[in-house]
Amino acid sequence: MNYPLWVVPHIGGTWVIGIISIIHVFISHFAVGGGIFLAFAEELAYKKNDDRIYDFLKQHSRFFVLLTTVAGAITGVGIWFSVSLVSPDGLASLIQSFTLAWAEEYLFFVAELATAFAYYYTWDRISKTEHLFLARLYMIFSIFTLVIINGILTFMLTPGKWMVNHYWLDGVFNPTYFPSLGIRILIMLAIAGMYALVTSSRIKEPRFRAFMVRYCAKWLLPVFILGPIFMVWFLTQIPQASIDTIFTGIQTSGVGNFSVLARALYLSMVLSGTILLFAYFGPYLNPKAFTFRIAIMFMVCGLAVTGTTEWMREMLRKPYVIYGYLYSNGIHKDDVQTISSQGFLNKGKWASALAQHANSEEERGELIFRYQCLACHTADGYRSMKKLLGARDEEAIENFLQILRKTDPKSNNYTGIMPTLAVNDAELKSLAKYLSTINVEERHHAEQVGAKPDVKENASTVQ
Amino acid sequence: MVSHPVSPQKFAARLNAFLRERLPLEELQALAEKKKVPLHKHSLWYYLGGIAGMLLGVQIVTGLLLMVYYVPEITSAHASILKINTQINFGWFVRSLHSWGANLMILALFVHLFSTYFMKAYRKPRELTWWTGLALMGICLGFGFTGYLLPWDDVSFFATKIGLDVASKVPFAGNLIAYMLRGGDAVSQATISRFFVIHVAILPILLIGLLGGHLLMVQVHNISEPNSFKNLEPAEKTYEKFFPTFFLKDILVWILCLNALFGLTMLSPWSLGPEADPFAPAPIGIKPEWYFLAPFQFLKMMPAMVGPIEGELVGLVLMSLVAVGFVLVPTFDSGASTARSRAATWFGIVVVISFAVLSIWGVLS
Repeated sequence: MNYPLWVVPHIGGTWVIGIISIIHVFISHFAVGGGIFLAFAEELAYKKNDDRIYDFLKQHSRFFVLLTTVAGAITGVGIWFSVSLVSPDGLASLIQSFTLAWAEEYLFFVAELATAFAYYYTWDRISKTEHLFLARLYMIFSIFTLVIINGILTFMLTPGKWMVNHYWLDGVFNPTYFPSLGIRILIMLAIAGMYALVTSSRIKEPRFRAFMVRYCAKWLLPVFILGPIFMVWFLTQIPQASIDTIFTGIQTSGVGNFSVLARALYLSMVLSGTILLFAYFGPYLNPKAFTFRIAIMFMVCGLAVTGTTEWMREMLRKPYVIYGYLYSNGIHKDDVQTISSQGFLNKGKWASALAQHANSEEERGELIFRYQCLACHTADGYRSMKKLLGARDEEAIENFLQILRKTDPKSNNYTGIMPTLAVNDAELKSLAKYLSTINVEERHHAEQVGAKPDVKENASTVQ
Repeated sequence: MVSHPVSPQKFAARLNAFLRERLPLEELQALAEKKKVPLHKHSLWYYLGGIAGMLLGVQIVTGLLLMVYYVPEITSAHASILKINTQINFGWFVRSLHSWGANLMILALFVHLFSTYFMKAYRKPRELTWWTGLALMGICLGFGFTGYLLPWDDVSFFATKIGLDVASKVPFAGNLIAYMLRGGDAVSQATISRFFVIHVAILPILLIGLLGGHLLMVQVHNISEPNSFKNLEPAEKTYEKFFPTFFLKDILVWILCLNALFGLTMLSPWSLGPEADPFAPAPIGIKPEWYFLAPFQFLKMMPAMVGPIEGELVGLVLMSLVAVGFVLVPTFDSGASTARSRAATWFGIVVVISFAVLSIWGVLS
């Protein structure tokens, strides 16, 4: 509310961040996991003094350095750029709380880039021992970028002791820090294995190809043995409300309730299981027949699991940017009460400036919609208000908004998934007026077919 | 005193000897190892039959599970599916797998059918493989048609009603067949009972028998080679063993397809419409499942009368001729005449294109 907002029609700003972030996750996990892979594989080549492995690594590292430095950097900056446009209040909060951590992250990132280039351009130019040292150095730097960013990512879900003392190191080493670090490293090893399978499948000489394919397949094993342990550890550390949100829908979910999280969980589990089978029956048991095409399809499946799991982790945090502290629309949880009595539009710096130019009640309503709803909803696309409002008229919308304004979970079913609406009485009316202009067609259609507007305010109708 | 346990190796050897003395294991092993897969640029199509088979397995398992809770009775059918969807643990999941799996299986079968057709795999000595395959396609469409009615929601009710009305237009026996399937003049309890028995008993028996024959034929005649491969010098031909090399790749493809199936199931669970009301007017724009859309659209575009004959009847006759064409193609195109071979290819292309165009038209209209 202190900054201007960026309106992205149809897909919403969240998906702009989402798409860039998911690509970045694929690349950054490869950057770290691949770094570990390069160091270990080079050690293997060094010990066996095997030129074929060296040749393979030269090929593999070319693709690796290009992808991680160029695409990794572009999408990384892309995340900053898009988040600052879509969720400026949330980002400001994270920058202010972790200034030092961000600075260190930047430092390690620069060191990682520098070593990556040094590593790639010194193939055959320095001694094998020195080159192995560079590979290990890159591995360490890349792991440290994870060590820091993992603190900030997990902080958003479980701020832990930081909530009391606001001490940044307590925020970094929060309850889910270590289980999450473990899971991520395991996933990174698996992703590194899958990328290396793609390059290994291009090796011409059949026996060496079979050897490398098998070697790469083994990199998928750790995540399947240790992953479940870290996952259970992780789940014991996250807020009970988030767990409840998953398990509301876990047994009997279908379309139309909170089940989307449960379904994502199934998908992530099923896909993980099939990847293990795939790695066993494909590259491990039948390495000779493991072709480039199969390797690509395999990687697509693997990345799909990673994407699904990341998305699920993001969903667990809803409706917060920082759990229990800052809502996803940039409003502090503790400010809701004050805003409800004093009003929203006269509070934020930018929002109040814009409100002075809002000439009608509808325009004021739209302004509130942009600041408080647009973080998750769009008018007619992703989580479409048009669809969710159904055929409700202004009065029904107003009644519904009254529910969203309550902070007690007993009278507001939505507290677990939506921020509490922070408006005063007059603003609530303006918002209802504006919202009723979005679903005019729906109301018109409902009148034609004679259906009654669905005013049953039940959590089970929300997806 | 502890008695000496039989070592696992010894036990396996004894079991092996026991079975070998009583079963023709050597012959079976020889049969399994005989099959080899030609490697060429069209080898991709060899996976389709296996995919359909794997999906059939999914259908059998999920079908059995659904049968535990489904009640084939007119006042309970819809409620039982609703219960499966909302109250039974993982019921929505099993049902969605069954519905999505059915659609993917029919899609895989269409691709399998047309790919074998264009590779001319129906030619001598594989006519029996081809005919059993066609019959299996018919059976699977039968599964689709009968299974569609069972949830007893409004769309399934009217789609069945229209489907049977069309069937009754077939000259001579049509009326009688439609009457027998319906169990009367209207789609009712009798229809649910009949469709249920056909879906879970009659068609499965036919399917298992015919599928056994189909697979045996493939085993006996080995995998068909397209002409481009057959005409190569023996030294240029490369093969891989079906077992275990190709079979392991088969498993990978199955896993990929299973992932696609699970993905569809999770992201878009199968929904259930409101309960069927036989006395309500048909909902506007009612359409059958996508695999029946092409014939449906074809009949819709026929004029009311073609000369003195009813348009729908002409449409039915034309579609039957296409089916007859597929049945007779092995006798028409035996490989001896290039002109006939080309004619058969063109016939196939025309059918595929019309099927695609009519289906898309059906979706859009």
